[in-house]
Amino acid sequence: MSAPATTAKDAAGAVDLAARGRKLGLLMTLPAQLLLVFIFAFPALMQIYISLTWWTPGDGTIWIYAYESFVWFDNYVELITSERLWEPIGRTMLILIVVVPVEFVIGFGLAVLFVDSFPGKRVFYSILLTPMMVVPAVAGYMFFMLFQSNGPINQILSLLTGTDVELVWLGDTTLAMIAVMIADIWQWTPLMFLILLAGILGVPEDQLKAATLLGANWGQKFWRIVLPRMRTVIIIAIVIRAVEAFKLFDVMYVMTKGGPGVATETISIYIYKLFKQLEWSYLAAVDLSILIALSVIAVIGMTLMAKAKQKRAGDVVD
Amino acid sequence: MTNNRALNEIGRYALILLAVVIAMVPIAWMASMAFKPVEEWTMSAGELTWWPRNPTFGNFEYIFTGQTEAVIISLDRTAVGPVIASLVTALFGTVIAVTVGTLGAYAVSRFKVGGNLPLSVLQLRLFPPMAVMIPVMIMWTYLGMIDTWWGLSLIYGIVTLPFAFWLMMTFFDEVPREIEEAALVEGCSPWRAFYRVTLPMVKAPLATTCLFVFILNWSDFLIALLLTTKDWVTIPVFMNELFTAMTGPMYGAKAALGLIAAIPPVVFGIIIQKHLVRGLTFGALKQ
Repeated sequence: MSAPATTAKDAAGAVDLAARGRKLGLLMTLPAQLLLVFIFAFPALMQIYISLTWWTPGDGTIWIYAYESFVWFDNYVELITSERLWEPIGRTMLILIVVVPVEFVIGFGLAVLFVDSFPGKRVFYSILLTPMMVVPAVAGYMFFMLFQSNGPINQILSLLTGTDVELVWLGDTTLAMIAVMIADIWQWTPLMFLILLAGILGVPEDQLKAATLLGANWGQKFWRIVLPRMRTVIIIAIVIRAVEAFKLFDVMYVMTKGGPGVATETISIYIYKLFKQLEWSYLAAVDLSILIALSVIAVIGMTLMAKAKQKRAGDVVD
Repeated sequence: MTNNRALNEIGRYALILLAVVIAMVPIAWMASMAFKPVEEWTMSAGELTWWPRNPTFGNFEYIFTGQTEAVIISLDRTAVGPVIASLVTALFGTVIAVTVGTLGAYAVSRFKVGGNLPLSVLQLRLFPPMAVMIPVMIMWTYLGMIDTWWGLSLIYGIVTLPFAFWLMMTFFDEVPREIEEAALVEGCSPWRAFYRVTLPMVKAPLATTCLFVFILNWSDFLIALLLTTKDWVTIPVFMNELFTAMTGPMYGAKAALGLIAAIPPVVFGIIIQKHLVRGLTFGALKQ
């Protein structure tokens, strides 16, 4: 609607903000550009260089002299052939595949409950968002306490089952994994809830009313109107959660440090360990591989997001 | 019909209450632990209780002064330093991210410059900070920025730049450009039009962005874990070390510190609730 109006105005010879401010604009983006170069370009080159050597800070030489131990692609060969890297990646993926759908389903369920207004809605809404505000490391500590073998979780379970439950949550390989997943689900379901609720509220009400008049039942409205309208929102919510879940570190580090053994060692924890062991040249190869893999995923994701935005703009028009 | 409706309402409240309880239990347990005296930290005193039997401020006293009567081992370093470190670095990190982000976002929103900038900035968020830690470590060492407030603030500013940039960009997009164009006609320079006309109009969004970015900086654990060693250790890192440095788990003391760390983000989060969706989805969605 407003588009023709602006064009008419431009044609009438109003000032062109974009043209007048071009120089200023370049100046204003400069700090951001510089920071990006500072954190992307130089580090990338440095990582490529180091990853082709066997340099470690333990050598006592600075990284510039890493060429003295130049080994070409040995580090990359090692990372492809070594199972040591694939295990944490597999574990990270396992966590991701479990927690993201669970968070999605619970978040969606809660969002549906919050669609129409009811007394106390605002207060409940605020309370349900609290977990994601908690500092992740602190959330990790909360669950560290809860999952102690003589802690409250076992106490509650004992109460519910009537027998003495004494599970060693953080000391058992399977249970530790479950404990960590529960912590993640507790903290990040609110995020799904928040985004999905915004999505549901964006579904045009008149369409739902029309469907009701036409005699559509609850299920039909949900599957035929709500879900298709929310497709892009759902994609965004899942992508955002998946990206963050892939980086999972804080909660894990505080709760289990990747243990017992390596049972809950995610990719971030594994990288942290390599870092502490000063295996920096191998780590550089690992890092670069991850960055490249993520970049490929990013390109796909961003295309989807851009499409989503366009579609939303289209929705508003019609 | 009415009966069915009432049943539905009861079901709704039951489910929501269940969710509320689950959301609150871990927080409640930590809050209760923060006020428990040493004897009640573990099962050794007998039953675990959800309410401290002898509530005390001893844990807070302990982390801030280094000693309290009930604990024999005194702390060689109190939580005063880490609290200040967290505040200072989160604050300056926010200043950097919001300043750089606002300038860049305005330019992209208004002057059609910057090209790929929005996407490059977004990419920053995608990468695990872990994956660029070697070069960052080397650069920060070279520049003498390890364990300094400016070193930590700088990396915070960079890491949270995507949020500041995208939030401000969506806010600027909502301000009609006609007002600035009118200002230009009146003889204003583009900079003055930005500084004197647009910026005052986005005061509230700017405040929202600041709080949002502050929460993110305050919540960091990993970066501080890597880039600080002693003087500028932040609350989460200090809290984690409170465990390893002591002979036993310092449940109550850690809980007290955790409670302090948890409060600012929760309060700020409630204040900016309306804009959380926009912030977390980089403006792709609004509430």
